[in-house]
Amino acid sequence: MNLSSRVTTRWLDDHRPLLDFVPDGTSPWAWLHEGDGLVGWGTAFTSEPGSGPDRFAHSQHAFDEIAEHAVIDDEVLLPGTGLVAFGSFAFADDNPTSLLVVPRIAVGRRGGATWLTTITVDGQPHIADDLRDAASPRVPAVSDRPRYAGSSIPDVNWLEAVATAVDRIRGGHLDKVVLARDVALWSRHRFDVIDIAARLNRRFASCYTFIADGLAGATPELLAARFDRQVTSRVLAGTAARGTDTDHDDQLGSELADSPKEQWEHRLAVQSVRNVLEAVSDHVSGDDHPFLLKLENVQHLATDFTAEVRDDESALEVAAALHPTAAVGGFPRQPALDLITELEQMDRGRYAAPVGWVDAKRNGEWGIALRCAQFEGARARLFAGVGVVEGSLPEAELAETRLKLLAMQSVIGASDD
Amino acid sequence: MSHTSRSDTPSNSTAPAFDFASTDASVVAAAAEDETAAYDLAGLAEATGATMTLLESVERAGLLLPHHVDESGTARYSEADARAVRAGMTLLDAGLPLGELLEIAKHTDAAVRSIAEPAVEAFLRFVRDPVHGTSTTPDEAAERLVTAYQRMLPATETLVAHHLRRALLHTAAQRASE
Repeated sequence: MNLSSRVTTRWLDDHRPLLDFVPDGTSPWAWLHEGDGLVGWGTAFTSEPGSGPDRFAHSQHAFDEIAEHAVIDDEVLLPGTGLVAFGSFAFADDNPTSLLVVPRIAVGRRGGATWLTTITVDGQPHIADDLRDAASPRVPAVSDRPRYAGSSIPDVNWLEAVATAVDRIRGGHLDKVVLARDVALWSRHRFDVIDIAARLNRRFASCYTFIADGLAGATPELLAARFDRQVTSRVLAGTAARGTDTDHDDQLGSELADSPKEQWEHRLAVQSVRNVLEAVSDHVSGDDHPFLLKLENVQHLATDFTAEVRDDESALEVAAALHPTAAVGGFPRQPALDLITELEQMDRGRYAAPVGWVDAKRNGEWGIALRCAQFEGARARLFAGVGVVEGSLPEAELAETRLKLLAMQSVIGASDD
Repeated sequence: MSHTSRSDTPSNSTAPAFDFASTDASVVAAAAEDETAAYDLAGLAEATGATMTLLESVERAGLLLPHHVDESGTARYSEADARAVRAGMTLLDAGLPLGELLEIAKHTDAAVRSIAEPAVEAFLRFVRDPVHGTSTTPDEAAERLVTAYQRMLPATETLVAHHLRRALLHTAAQRASE
């Protein structure tokens, strides 16, 4: 296999939304946040690392080899310019669907400045400027409403799973476990993933919108970002609804901030992230007290960490060390993962796992693929999970996942905003 | 006011003054005692094949009302409750997700309470009060009221159930093309 490539990054004077650059008929990758981000399409290289705990390391190694053999001509020199790869990893060690892809074309934007990167494998034809014509804006595909097609397990069985988890927690086997369930949807027409991502990006403007090999969503969870040598990570654990007006919203927020159960759940998550960051980086500093992060539909207790890479770990390597956090697995980690396997009776696929990008300068942003759905033609699979702790009520957890699934379904089904 | 209508309180009419509150309570109990409440929650689970987790969840959600609570504080359920649980399980078996069923049950609870309130109000004003006003003894009033309850309760059930059935079929027909 030819690992050599020529990589060219140039400024691009084009201010269209990033998703509008993507040509029809491609399966794009995207990472979007507050106007900035990266989109990519076409495939220069693919790493399919298979299953196992080393899947992240295998893909990083493959990418390092590609970087070694690349001739990079980068006039922009920002995080995300030059050689770049998008990735999406499986939640579980035994799932083989992880992948890291170096696209042939990437368009990026940072602070309003836009660039175009082309990556041409030696011996393959050069595909330059394969951008959608700005004069012919994208027309969303004909859409039908999403229709229910069942779940991996009936939700009445999932209710039992939550009750069993609460029993185990009361029995002292573990402190917290995150249990998820899925819903399958079908439609008369294929789902337009780009259009859905654009809607997610508008609806959840403060989240990170991603498209990764058919997995599309908008996640609030930034697992690890690295820009130059600085690493940041945001821990979200503890959730409340948004209020109907400012007073109500503030009241729900302070109830969240003052709740011993939510504080305790948050501390578990913070501690597990701090432990990992301290193992792989220097100068770890985090907020002493969580702050309230108000998102479009919920508010979270949040703690931000900063650290400095110790041995030049890439953003992907830091994310790999953090996965799975207490926010998607539980605490302690191993008993929680064992319980998930036992109780969920569902393959999480790449849900609740690292999704993001990494460049040859080892920068990158990796979120946790939450609030997302896996699309394939006219079929989709939606996921939602909840943290189960000692005081959890099965019917309340069922209702919460139902609302999360409905929120996602309404974005998928909306014909416009 | 020398003359009063039938629906006025009997205390200022010619009817004898007797303890209506206790009469009414025993009448309600007699009329509602259509059957025995043989089950506690575990018994109800066993009789229906539903799990305790399911019944406890539905009960906490306020959607499983006991027949009565006995003197030890235990909620008691009847064969009618068991039939209702089995009906819910039939819907689950047919493919309706539990989360949706619970949502519909909450709407049903709110809707039937809003029917129950004016229905009882009408009964009190237009059936009970006249009975009290025209009976000469407590026993006679009680007997007439039990008879009235026993006729009206199933009639009301039939009326509401029939209307729901018609409304369901109309709605389903309207949306058949979706």
